[in-house]
Amino acid sequence: MLRTEEMLLNVGPQHPSTHGVFRLVIKIDGEIIKEATPVIGYLHRGTEKLAEDLTYTQIIPYTDRMDYLAAMTNNYVLCHAVETMMGVELPDYAEYLRVLAMELGRIASHLVWFGTYLLDIGAVSPFLYAFRERERIINLLNELSGGRLTFNYMRVGGVKWDAPGGWFDRVQEFVPYMREQLAGYHDLVGGNEIFLSRVKGVGVYSQETALQYSLSGANLRCTGVDWDLRKHEPYSLYERFDFKVITGETGDAWDRFKCRMGEIEESLKIIEQTFDQMPAEGKTMAKVPRMIKAPPGEAYVRIESPRGEIGCYINSDGKKEPYRMKFRRPSFYNLQILPKLLEGENMANLITILGGVDIVLGEVDG
Amino acid sequence: MRGLLKGLAYTLKNMKQEKITYNYPEEPVPMPERFRGIQKFYPEKCIVCNQCVNVCPTDCISLTGKKHPDPDQKRKIIDTYDINFEICILCDLCTEVCPTEAIVMTNNFELASYSRDDLFKNLEWLDENETNVREEN
Amino acid sequence: MSWIDQLLQSPPGWSNFLTFMALGSMMLTITLGFVTYAILAERKIMGAMQLRHGPNQVGGRFGLLQTVADILKLLLKEDIRPAHADRALFIIAPILTYVPAFLVIAVLPFTEAFHFADIGIGLLYYIAISGLSTIGIVTAGWASNNKYALMGGMRAAAQMISYEIPLVMSVVGIILFTGSLNLIDIVNAQESLAFIFLQPIAFLIFFIAGTAELNRTPFDLPEAESELVAGYHVEYSGFRFAFFMLSEYVYLFAISALITILFLGGWHDPIPYLELDGPGLGAIWFSLKFIGVVFLFIWVRVSFPRLRADQLMEFGWKVLLPVALANIFVSAVIKEFFF
Repeated sequence: MLRTEEMLLNVGPQHPSTHGVFRLVIKIDGEIIKEATPVIGYLHRGTEKLAEDLTYTQIIPYTDRMDYLAAMTNNYVLCHAVETMMGVELPDYAEYLRVLAMELGRIASHLVWFGTYLLDIGAVSPFLYAFRERERIINLLNELSGGRLTFNYMRVGGVKWDAPGGWFDRVQEFVPYMREQLAGYHDLVGGNEIFLSRVKGVGVYSQETALQYSLSGANLRCTGVDWDLRKHEPYSLYERFDFKVITGETGDAWDRFKCRMGEIEESLKIIEQTFDQMPAEGKTMAKVPRMIKAPPGEAYVRIESPRGEIGCYINSDGKKEPYRMKFRRPSFYNLQILPKLLEGENMANLITILGGVDIVLGEVDG
Repeated sequence: MRGLLKGLAYTLKNMKQEKITYNYPEEPVPMPERFRGIQKFYPEKCIVCNQCVNVCPTDCISLTGKKHPDPDQKRKIIDTYDINFEICILCDLCTEVCPTEAIVMTNNFELASYSRDDLFKNLEWLDENETNVREEN
Repeated sequence: MSWIDQLLQSPPGWSNFLTFMALGSMMLTITLGFVTYAILAERKIMGAMQLRHGPNQVGGRFGLLQTVADILKLLLKEDIRPAHADRALFIIAPILTYVPAFLVIAVLPFTEAFHFADIGIGLLYYIAISGLSTIGIVTAGWASNNKYALMGGMRAAAQMISYEIPLVMSVVGIILFTGSLNLIDIVNAQESLAFIFLQPIAFLIFFIAGTAELNRTPFDLPEAESELVAGYHVEYSGFRFAFFMLSEYVYLFAISALITILFLGGWHDPIPYLELDGPGLGAIWFSLKFIGVVFLFIWVRVSFPRLRADQLMEFGWKVLLPVALANIFVSAVIKEFFF
């Protein structure tokens, strides 16, 4: 009888597939994982605590750095929370600009996920194709906001800049281009038998489990739960748009892939409708006092970020800084299911499952 | 099998496509007009109002003023103005609050340096940093 | 009797020693020259398919000296050996991988005149010797005293053993048609028709199993970057790492040459009716076919994701092996009734 023993393996914090500084301590028997313990906090910067000493405007650049792949939605959730407390009504034009920026950001974020996920699975090329499209979006948002990653575009009561000349035309050109490339991705990856065999039936969880673990975003929708805050609790102007909530059926990695790719398509639809509805020009800022002070009390708002439900809780005592601030960071919540999913899987599936959750470590660690 | 062949066709098709990479260190990457780069400071415009220091989220700006050499003038003029680029996040808030546009953004972003000391920029350096100055602030 | 046989049978002496030395170095230069530019070609083609330029800094616009610079850099690097590694095995492992890679080249005939060892069982020799490299990889994985390396080594062992079998089985059909294991005889048997047309399934199996033998995407599990960081050579640096890298590309050279010889008719012209079998043309035909095969390998690498270990095993044993066996049977039937 051979003597066998379990092996303790540290995956990360320096590992090509942990998407940042994430560590996973796994007990493996051969290649089969017996137990997995995620270790987080390597990128913790204490955004929430820092926010207590900052005025609301000063917090906005910090939110950029939480989910750095979709900074626009983070900007929005903070501004939206403060606006809710102050009761500020935004001009339509500013809201449309915000929606455009957020949906472009959503596409960019899903493209990064698509590229890095395929990179995890072993295909190098889709990463570069996805980044070609993302570069166009980043350039568009750079023209709009002056930043490539940390946009710092939204302000309480509106947005910092109006769109520069010709920007709307360039966005409109981008939509059909992106559609064409999306079809190409399906040729390259969507029908690839090797890819399908890697993701189908991997990392399956049921609707109940997903709800018990408080998953959100594509991680929840892949099980068939029809829940998208843009649809079911419309914020901003989302009730004016006609789009589908993409849901899966089986709750495996393949459904998560389909959900995210479908969401790119839906975001393109929203962008197209924006141009139909949008006034030609308007005010970019509502009337807000120079020094922004949220009235005493508390508020919690939640919106749909590319990764799931991002929420912002503000407890204010009427000063120009929040008394306490809390972000519900979707990546952090989505990550909690990982130990359960990894049990009994092998090393290759570990990467498939971890990649499929779509975590951004800046957001997990806050 | 069909999916694999489609994938092969897609990569082959892309072989003839235009390259999308930048020849970066040799050719500068053009940045759009609004790009937030290293600040440019106009000492003559500054009224020492301290708003930029107050709004800075990372407290990277420090300034001191002195009395105007002309005794008739009541307002102060700038004496020292330092930005610590180790912690500056180029968030654009200082240029946004500045009432006289004394501090503005440029499109320059190349801050890399071999020494941390080089990242501490003083008034003279910020005054001389006058390429690609942003027009709209 | 060819000139090489005369040489081998001539009495020993300084002139003979120098001739052998010169021939050996010539082969080494050709192979290493190929490896240098195969790495560059791979990076260039990958770059082109991925909308990048690839290396374009060292050695002019096309980066012609990039690989040379890389190897120089590896030579100059500090040789790091983990403290708890098994010293002897750690040092011997790259050699175990590298030596067989060069041994197999001896039997490959490139043109009618340019070949080295003309042995009766050339094909068998190739397959037997190339299998030895696995030992080096497993040794490297074990000796590194690193868990990722160990997993890489174990994967390599499992993968290479299970793909060796379909690889051998797929060429049995060719041996049946030729009636010889000698590679020159095999090429000569394809004067009118390349075996890829007679044995398309065997070609496919051989190509897939060959990719697995080479540890290239989609079968690059032993060094799967996203899972095992670098697999069996995770602890190797400097020139020891270069040994693994070189042997990988020497095998790419060898397998591509073998595919050209076995399936594409070696130095014979691709279209038999043209009668273009001149003395110098053989080398050109061979290189063209050979470059085509290398391109195919690179192209596949760019396009596909990686398989999972268990799927790889399943595919090898449950799909490739039965198909290869069926192919032998069908080949035997065809041989019996049509030839």
